[in-house]
Amino acid sequence: MSKSLWHQLFEPPSIGQIAPATKVILYTILLAWSAFVLFPIYWLIITSFKDAAAVNQGPFFLPWIDFQPSLHAWEELFVIDYKDTLRAYFNSFIISFSATALSVLVGSMAAYALSRVEFAPNLITILYFVLLVILGGVAIGVFDVDWRLALASGVALFFFLARAVGRLYQLRLQNGDILFWIISQRILAPIVVVVPIYMMFQSVSMLDTHLAIILTYTVVNLPVVVWLMYDFFNSIPRDLEESAQIDGATMINTFYEIILPLSRAGLAATTLLVIILCWNEYLLALFLSTTQAQTMPILVAAMNAGERGILWWTMSAVIMVMIIPVVIMAIVLQKYIAKGILVGAVKG
Amino acid sequence: MIAKTNAFSAAKSISIQSLNKYYHLFHALKNLSLEVNPGEFLVLLGPSGCGKSTALRMIAGLESISSGEIYIGDNNVTNVLPKYRDIAMVFQSYALYPHKTVAENIGFPLKMAKSPKEEITAAVDAAAKQVELGDYLDRLPGQLSGGQRQRVALARAIIRRPAVFLMDEPLSNLDAKLRGNMRAELKHMQNELGITTVYVTHDQIEAMTLAHRVAVLKDGVLQQLGAPKDIYSDPENLFVAGFMGSPPMNFISGSIENKTFSARGVHIPVSDAPINGNVTLGFRPEDCSVLDAGNGDLQATVYTAELTGDHVLVTLRLEAGQLVAKMPREFEIASDMNVGVSIDQNHLYFFDNETGSRLRFT
Repeated sequence: MSKSLWHQLFEPPSIGQIAPATKVILYTILLAWSAFVLFPIYWLIITSFKDAAAVNQGPFFLPWIDFQPSLHAWEELFVIDYKDTLRAYFNSFIISFSATALSVLVGSMAAYALSRVEFAPNLITILYFVLLVILGGVAIGVFDVDWRLALASGVALFFFLARAVGRLYQLRLQNGDILFWIISQRILAPIVVVVPIYMMFQSVSMLDTHLAIILTYTVVNLPVVVWLMYDFFNSIPRDLEESAQIDGATMINTFYEIILPLSRAGLAATTLLVIILCWNEYLLALFLSTTQAQTMPILVAAMNAGERGILWWTMSAVIMVMIIPVVIMAIVLQKYIAKGILVGAVKG
Repeated sequence: MIAKTNAFSAAKSISIQSLNKYYHLFHALKNLSLEVNPGEFLVLLGPSGCGKSTALRMIAGLESISSGEIYIGDNNVTNVLPKYRDIAMVFQSYALYPHKTVAENIGFPLKMAKSPKEEITAAVDAAAKQVELGDYLDRLPGQLSGGQRQRVALARAIIRRPAVFLMDEPLSNLDAKLRGNMRAELKHMQNELGITTVYVTHDQIEAMTLAHRVAVLKDGVLQQLGAPKDIYSDPENLFVAGFMGSPPMNFISGSIENKTFSARGVHIPVSDAPINGNVTLGFRPEDCSVLDAGNGDLQATVYTAELTGDHVLVTLRLEAGQLVAKMPREFEIASDMNVGVSIDQNHLYFFDNETGSRLRFT
């Protein structure tokens, strides 16, 4: 029985293979997509080796043929303006790594607690607490009450009445509610919260400091860490911890011997993601830093606003410098990420 | 009945007194009281959700106790952390640490006890030898077969020489053939070590073969406690009678009047029945046999006959229901034949239709 041409082209020769025509179509789409994604990066690289003339008379795409490569932009970046460049680079490193370390540390502990302990806080008690905080704030801010007095009476009121108030209505929150609350912190657009954050740091004179940006980034990225690590911890069977407990392990033993080694992949993936988020963050840094704490994205944007117009060549060089560490990290940690996110968990 | 104790320090008894467990409003375990003798192999048997695993986890200290007390030996362990109870547990999932080698897994309890390195190595070697895993010490659990993982879990349990073994359906993840082998090994090992063992299963064959005594649970209530033989031949109620035995006991629901049990199409004289009323008649497949039509105690139609190897199971239809007869393997019969069934009058069981409890006439 001879097959029609249509069948020969569009039916796979056997199970697990792809039909020839389908293959051609697929690879064409993939190639087009790759070009679409990779071309801007190529353009970025060659632009950083162009001088003003090569950019302005362009577009030129082929070095040595269309235009003569020059190290002009790189010289400007690392010889003439090296102080600004290095300071921003150094700032970005300090801020990203500190904020990531803090948020992964705190966030993964929160995630572990949420995955292993059943919390059941009383909703009314929580609302009562929030109400007291607001009243305290109003008392201090509007009526000029001494803050020590306000704090003391707030704490006293809470502990005296919390139980009585809690008994009014027995609706209890569960871990799912707490988790949603944490994740919901990411719902607001950063532009909405940046002004209050700015004013807060302004009032304690911490604008343009590393610490201000580190603290802000830590808080902003906590939900991401909690979210990812909660899923990851949930995938580690409880049997393992129970078994370790019976075998005589303490909580600390269990954490270091069992949980930590098993969550290495998840921690690596989360850490990488948070570092990248911090490294690339622009808006918050724009508000919170001026010169001393300026990060790389701000430096890149600044190339846009010089007196000499947009310096495409220098900007390209800065962008390259900025993306190189992230690319290297992604390559190094890639196997962990694949393990952590795709394979997920632990199989006995 | 009590096994010899040679390798280990004296085995300890377990005493469970009026144990209750509530999950919010759900009463999972109702007033369970049990005494496990030193060196005894006790099986908690029941369908899923009967509270048997809850009871075991309460003995292990992994589950809080709503009310009641647990003693291991002379110690009240009701509110004692698992690690101070001197127990070892084998989980259904084996709970092997996937990132540790076989040797590290087996040696983990000793490492936690801060034993010297040489001592751990020697003990790991001995334990691995006992479960025939000597060649696999450097492997990771992921590189082992199900049966080998099971052995690692066992070795990890025996290495510390605990006073009590707790096992939560340890064989249920193995294939049928391996399960049979491991069952025999487990029984041999428990007998040799003489460690008090509490074993949870829903498989009545495991319970029959392994246990010194079986505790049958249903809906959190202890139904019957006794030697497997007694539970099989002298069940206390309809549930235990139906749960023990494969194929299960045949039941015909009917009534007794004038010393005769009657159901639709069934009339069996019961000489020593002093009562009248609605009852369920039970008899085991091996206590009835298929005869030519017109003979025996009741008449039925053959639904199907299955050769299982050592015998033939004949499923029969009658007006009052369906029953199974166990016949010798030479027995041959065609479907839809009309046959008679005779029932061994010495092995009839009667149960109250309402409460399900056993009616004893003598």
